[in-house]
Amino acid sequence: MIAAREPGDLRAALAKTIVGQEAVIEGLLLALLCNGHVLLEGPPGLAKTLACRSLAAALEGEFKRIQFTPDLLPSDIVGTRIFDQRESSFATVLGPIFANVVLADEINRAPAKVQSALLEAMQERQVTIGPQSHELPDPFVVMATMNPLDSEGTYALPIAQMDRFLMKINVGYPTRDQEREILDRFALADTQPVRAVATLDDVRSWRAAAHNVHIDEKLKRYIVDLVAITRESEGVSVRSSAGATHRACELIDYGASPRATLALAFLARGRALLDRRDFALPDDVRAVAAATLRHRIGFNYRLATENIAADEVIAAMIAAVPAP
Amino acid sequence: MTRLLTGLVAAAFAALLSCNPCTAQSLQRLSVESFVLSADTTRPRVDTPFHLIVLLRVRERVTEINNIELPLLAALELLGDEREVTSDARGSQYREVITVVAHDPGTLAIAPATLQAVDARDGHPKEWYTNDLHLVAGQSPERIVSSVRSAFLGVVWILAPLAVLVAIGVVVLLAVRAAANRPRVVVPIVVEPIAPPPAQRTLRQQIEDALVVLRAERTRGAAVRVRAAVWRTIGASEGATLADVLRRPGSDEVPLRDVLIALERSAFTYDADLSPAIEDACGALERYAGSVV
Repeated sequence: MIAAREPGDLRAALAKTIVGQEAVIEGLLLALLCNGHVLLEGPPGLAKTLACRSLAAALEGEFKRIQFTPDLLPSDIVGTRIFDQRESSFATVLGPIFANVVLADEINRAPAKVQSALLEAMQERQVTIGPQSHELPDPFVVMATMNPLDSEGTYALPIAQMDRFLMKINVGYPTRDQEREILDRFALADTQPVRAVATLDDVRSWRAAAHNVHIDEKLKRYIVDLVAITRESEGVSVRSSAGATHRACELIDYGASPRATLALAFLARGRALLDRRDFALPDDVRAVAAATLRHRIGFNYRLATENIAADEVIAAMIAAVPAP
Repeated sequence: MTRLLTGLVAAAFAALLSCNPCTAQSLQRLSVESFVLSADTTRPRVDTPFHLIVLLRVRERVTEINNIELPLLAALELLGDEREVTSDARGSQYREVITVVAHDPGTLAIAPATLQAVDARDGHPKEWYTNDLHLVAGQSPERIVSSVRSAFLGVVWILAPLAVLVAIGVVVLLAVRAAANRPRVVVPIVVEPIAPPPAQRTLRQQIEDALVVLRAERTRGAAVRVRAAVWRTIGASEGATLADVLRRPGSDEVPLRDVLIALERSAFTYDADLSPAIEDACGALERYAGSVV
C-alpha cells in the first residue's frame, strides 16, 4: 500500500521551486524510488543543481556537489587517510560522496580512473579507504551532469559505464512563458528554500511500495519487445534531415543490455507509484522508454554523417513496438 | 401426381422432425451472428439431387440448436438431412445440409428458415429469418434427348421415304454447320446466394454489447477483449497507449474517459483487484451507454 506521505508530495514541493523541467523532476524522483542514478545532459544554467539541492532539502537529506575537473583524484571523491601527528596514526576523512544526494557536475571532465571510482561506488554502495570499507548512506542518489556544448578536453564515458545510470535525461531550455515565470520568481529575491515534505524513512517505505507494484504479463512482454527492437531493428526506418530513409539497424552497432530491461520495469513501477497506482500501465513503460534506452544503445558514425538525432531513432523504435 | 404427394409427405415429416414445441421457457439464449440459407446451385436439373444449406453462427459454445424451423419444401422431394454443430473459440456453427430433388421444371420459391431463441444481447425472445431462395429447375439432358428421339421415330415411321431424304439433308446440313462452328464448352457457374449484410450496430448498441460480455464473463481475458472492442468502436488504433487514446478529440469527455481508464485498470491490475476493477468498468460502460444518443 502507498504510504501516508506520498512521492507526489515531493514532486509538488519541487515544482514550487523549479519552473518547468518536469522531466528532470520526475527523473530525480524515479531514481530515488528505484534506487538508481541519473545522468543529466544539457547546457549550463538549466536548474540542474537547484533541482538536486531542492530534492535533498525536501527530504531532509544531505546534499553534496562535486565539480569534476581534469586534475581530480579518486580520493577527492571517496575520501582518504591522513596521518595525525598528535595521535601518530592515520585518520580516515570521508569524501563528498557520503551524502544522500550527490551532484557530480560535468562528470566527463574528469579522467577515466576518477569516473570509474565514482561509478564503482554507485554500483557497490560502499567505498574502501585503506583497510576499511564504508557503507554509503541510504538513500544514495547520484545525479551526474554532462555539458554537450563544450566537449574539448573531456573524457567521454564508455557505454559500459553509462549503463550503470538508470536513466539519461536530456535537459532542454524552458519555454518563453516558463522563462518569464523564472524572472518573476527569482529576479527579485533569492531562491526560496524548499521546505521538507518527507523524510529519508519515507523514501525507504516508498521503495518497498514500488517494489510491490504489479506488472502484468502483457506489460513484461512489451518491455522485452522494446529492448529487443534495439538489437533487431531491421524493420524500423528513420528519415535524415536530407530526406533519405535509413534502416535503424544501419545506424546502430549494438543494442541495449538486459540491464535496460530491468531498468524499464523498475521505472515503470516507480512511475505508477508516483501516479498513485499499485499496477503499472503501458503508458508508464512508454513514458520512461527513451530515457532508459538512449544511453544504452551504441550508435555508429552514420548517425552523425547523416545528421540524424539519436532520439529520433529511439522514438521510431519505440513507435514500432505496439503497446499491449 | 404420386411424386408430388410423396414430396409433400416427406416435407411435412421433415418439418415435424425439425420443429420442437417452442415455448419462451425452452428457448436457448443465443447471440446470433449470421443465419443464412443457400443452395449449391441456382439452376438445379429435374431428377438430379442438389443441396440446400442452412448455416447459423452464434457466439456461444453450444452442442445443439433446438428451435430451427426449415421451410416447407412442397415442390421438392426430400432425400436426406444432415446436421452438424461445431464449436471453436469464437462460438458455434450449426450447419444443416438437406438433399432434395425436383421432379418438375420451373421456378422453385423456397421460404426462409426460422430460428426462435432468446437474444443474449438484450434478453428478449426473438425470431430470426434467413433469406429466401428462388431457383429455376430445368430439364435434364437425358429427358430432352429421349423426347426428341421418340418424336423423330414417329415422323420416320409415317413419312419414311420423305424422312429419309429430309434426314439425309439434315445430316448433311448439320455436318456442314458442325464443320463451320467449333464446339463450345459451357462451364456452369454456381453462385451461392449472398446473405443480406447485417445491419450496422449503433455506438450505443456496441457499448451495450460490451457491457453484456463483461457482465457475463468477469475475467481478465474478457476485460482485454472489451477494452480492444471499445478502442475499435471509438476509432483508436491498436498498439496505442491510454494516453494516446485520451489525446483523441472527444476522448476527454467524462463518461468515455471513465470507461477508458476503468478498462485499462481491468486489463492491467493485479488479480486481487480484478473483480472491483471489472465492476467499476461495468458501471462506467453503463453510464457511457446512457449518455450516448
